[in-house]
Amino acid sequence: MVFTSHQSRKQGDNTQNMPRTVGIDLGTTYSLIAYQDKREGRPKCIPGPYGTPLCPSVVSVDADGSIVVGQAAQRRLLTQPERTIYSVKRLLGRGPADVQGELKIFPFRIDPASKNVIRVRLGDRVFTPPEISAFILRELKMWAEEYFQDSVERAVITVPAYFNDAQRQATRDAGRLAGLEVLRLVNEPTAAALAYGLHEQKRGKVAVYDFGGGTFDISILKLISTSDGDIYQVLSTNGDTHLGGDDIDNALQGMAREEIRGLGVDLAAHPEVVQELRKALIAAKHELSSEDKTTVKFPLPDGSVYFREITRAEYERLIRPIVGRTMGPVRQALADAKLSPAEIEEVVLVGGSTRVPLVRQTVEQFFGRRPHTELNPDEVVALGAAVQADILEGGVNDMLLLDVTPLSLGIETMGGVVAKIIPRNSTVPASAQELFTTGVENQTGIDIHVLQGERELAKDCRSLAKFQLKVPPGPAGLARIEVKFLIDASGILQVSASDLRAGTEHSIEVQPTYGLDDAEVERMLEESIEFAEQDFSERQLIEARNEAESVLHLTEKALARELGEAPGELPDEERRAIDGAIAALREALAGTDYKRVRAFVDVLNQASTPLAERMMNRALGAALEGKKLGDV
Amino acid sequence: MSAPSTTVTTSANCWSCSAATAGASFCPACGKIQPLPKGADYFAFFGMPQKLTIDLAILEQRFHALSWKLHPDHFARAPEDERQISLDLSSQLNDAYRTLRDPVARVEYLLSLSGMRKEGQKKQQAPPELLEEVFELNESLDELREARASGGSAAQLPGLRAKLESAQHKFESSLADVDQELARVSAEWDAALDSAADEAAKKKLMERMNEVLNRRSYIRNLVNGVRQELVTGD
Repeated sequence: MVFTSHQSRKQGDNTQNMPRTVGIDLGTTYSLIAYQDKREGRPKCIPGPYGTPLCPSVVSVDADGSIVVGQAAQRRLLTQPERTIYSVKRLLGRGPADVQGELKIFPFRIDPASKNVIRVRLGDRVFTPPEISAFILRELKMWAEEYFQDSVERAVITVPAYFNDAQRQATRDAGRLAGLEVLRLVNEPTAAALAYGLHEQKRGKVAVYDFGGGTFDISILKLISTSDGDIYQVLSTNGDTHLGGDDIDNALQGMAREEIRGLGVDLAAHPEVVQELRKALIAAKHELSSEDKTTVKFPLPDGSVYFREITRAEYERLIRPIVGRTMGPVRQALADAKLSPAEIEEVVLVGGSTRVPLVRQTVEQFFGRRPHTELNPDEVVALGAAVQADILEGGVNDMLLLDVTPLSLGIETMGGVVAKIIPRNSTVPASAQELFTTGVENQTGIDIHVLQGERELAKDCRSLAKFQLKVPPGPAGLARIEVKFLIDASGILQVSASDLRAGTEHSIEVQPTYGLDDAEVERMLEESIEFAEQDFSERQLIEARNEAESVLHLTEKALARELGEAPGELPDEERRAIDGAIAALREALAGTDYKRVRAFVDVLNQASTPLAERMMNRALGAALEGKKLGDV
Repeated sequence: MSAPSTTVTTSANCWSCSAATAGASFCPACGKIQPLPKGADYFAFFGMPQKLTIDLAILEQRFHALSWKLHPDHFARAPEDERQISLDLSSQLNDAYRTLRDPVARVEYLLSLSGMRKEGQKKQQAPPELLEEVFELNESLDELREARASGGSAAQLPGLRAKLESAQHKFESSLADVDQELARVSAEWDAALDSAADEAAKKKLMERMNEVLNRRSYIRNLVNGVRQELVTGD
């Protein structure tokens, strides 16, 4: 018995050396967070409040400005579609002009004032895609903090392998806005290979076919055992960052909405009904992964019912072109790895869309072997991210991942032609140095345009950044500026320049073409505090302080009462211990270390236990004498 | 692309403890990772002579061993300056491996080391023995484009297509010939190194390699151009 106001403290998996670096799969449809369990030596996903590790990547903004994420937000897709957004990953790192096609099928409300970075309207507020993604990351961070009962500050986040520099930077910005130090971005198929390799102990050439909610990736890897450990070397990667289960849903919706229009009902005026229909069709899609046919019964706004039986055969006819679109990248990746389908020893399926039987069949036919599906396709990427997080923590030290850049890096030269300086499928980190000089006398700047892509002309590639090298005035051709382009292990470009004549290093202000610059991220970080959940240690400090105040109050009250009622019974030694503990706790309360506060609460509780027991015994004695407990 | 100079500085000292490192990746005294000595070349990175015949299995093995030592994964928790050195070194390792494993890029790199081959100074002249074919090809390509621009009659296109396909085969076999020639000169270069040939003889071989590379780059552009036309025609 102690004078304590008991607050329930979840007992997480609290082992020593618990990794504080987590792996996060920031998915189009679902997001997950995982960690490496040191005791069991394997990665595990962390469940959220509903018991499942799958957090729907849906964000909703309440009328009062508060942010709702996950399951609760998913329900709001039906009740408050104009305040709720799904599949925001499709907008990461893209400009308004890029997404015009998507707007026809996705209910994104893009702010008309959007310039290079898209701004999305949710209710009466406007957010960038990294900010919305940050809400999802923050939610997952909270799940992990509740689970560990400790703060989580560092993360490895996965991205589609075919994400370009702008999309990667946007993901990293999202992590920063969520209060996470992003140690590394890891490509999703590679993360899956890490999880699989660990699970299966396979060696040889592996193809990872990752068909998710919004993106498709194919990666060809070589798993090598060396005397230092296992190397996972990516030979080539390819994909489509706008091809996924969403497209299957949209094909089904397109069919249904046309048939509904044929019934004389136009759903354009009913966004909430459109979302209901989408939900019903996704359920039908899931059904068709195991059944030969399914029936959609959908009540329409005019009181009639859209009744439709869909057979597996008809469904497959509808989605065959979508599945077919994955095979171009598969062939290209194999060609780049200089391998034939028969040379691939293992095929691994990742991503929810690989549950579609037609996808499995297509892949099996192409490679002539049965693909692996042992691991849960929804969780395997997050598990691999947790393994990579542990590698970076120095935990796992017998595995090394060598990944590649998916797209060639180039600079614009005369006539709008792109000179490739780092070819696609180069192992990262990778770099290239280019020497620039002036063309006319007293030229003060050299314009550099950096692009990513495989096409010959700048206008057909993705513009990453434009910047100007400053040069001291002088005769033409005298300046010698060496620019170093470096793609880091996350696949993100860094640029630095040195003036070879002056022997000075320049830092270069690179203004991203489709991204937030540092100042914007800083500003958002400041703004985000207003709706940020408090930081874990802050939350813990508040709880610990409340508990300490309450224990102090109860102890002091009890002490005063004891001195009043039974002054002789309190031994000096006990009194000194209690006074000492009270003073120590007060001192701890003046600080900000919640662990210290908790520790001194425990000390005080211990010191006051004999007192509490004596008082309780007296109370019991009094009760036996017929007095009410409350009178004691 | 600028080439590193050929003078390798081996008198380097550790940036952290100032001990002499003799150009090693890790300081023999304190074990800290060291930046690459200024001007160290890709061959030296792998402990190989500047020869053009390379055992790819050995190259890969050394690449993997060096990756274990230098990769940023193993420096994720190191201080900022060590992280930066690891990033620089492992990017150079990857650049070196990418260059040396490809027999053509390997020759280009060797020439660039001695300033023989510079970006923007490649001669883009048609090799004399191909002049006639190139002329014919350009005619066919012009006809094809005109036919396409004017709607392209179905009867006209297949004939042109066949011409283009035959040109494609012709140039692809020329490309294979040039690659063989490059392999022969490369072998001569290695023999010259083994027999400690004089600088003049080596310079002559380099000039030949440069000429073969120019021819190769011209033919490769032709092959790519025809391939592109055939694909867009589909």
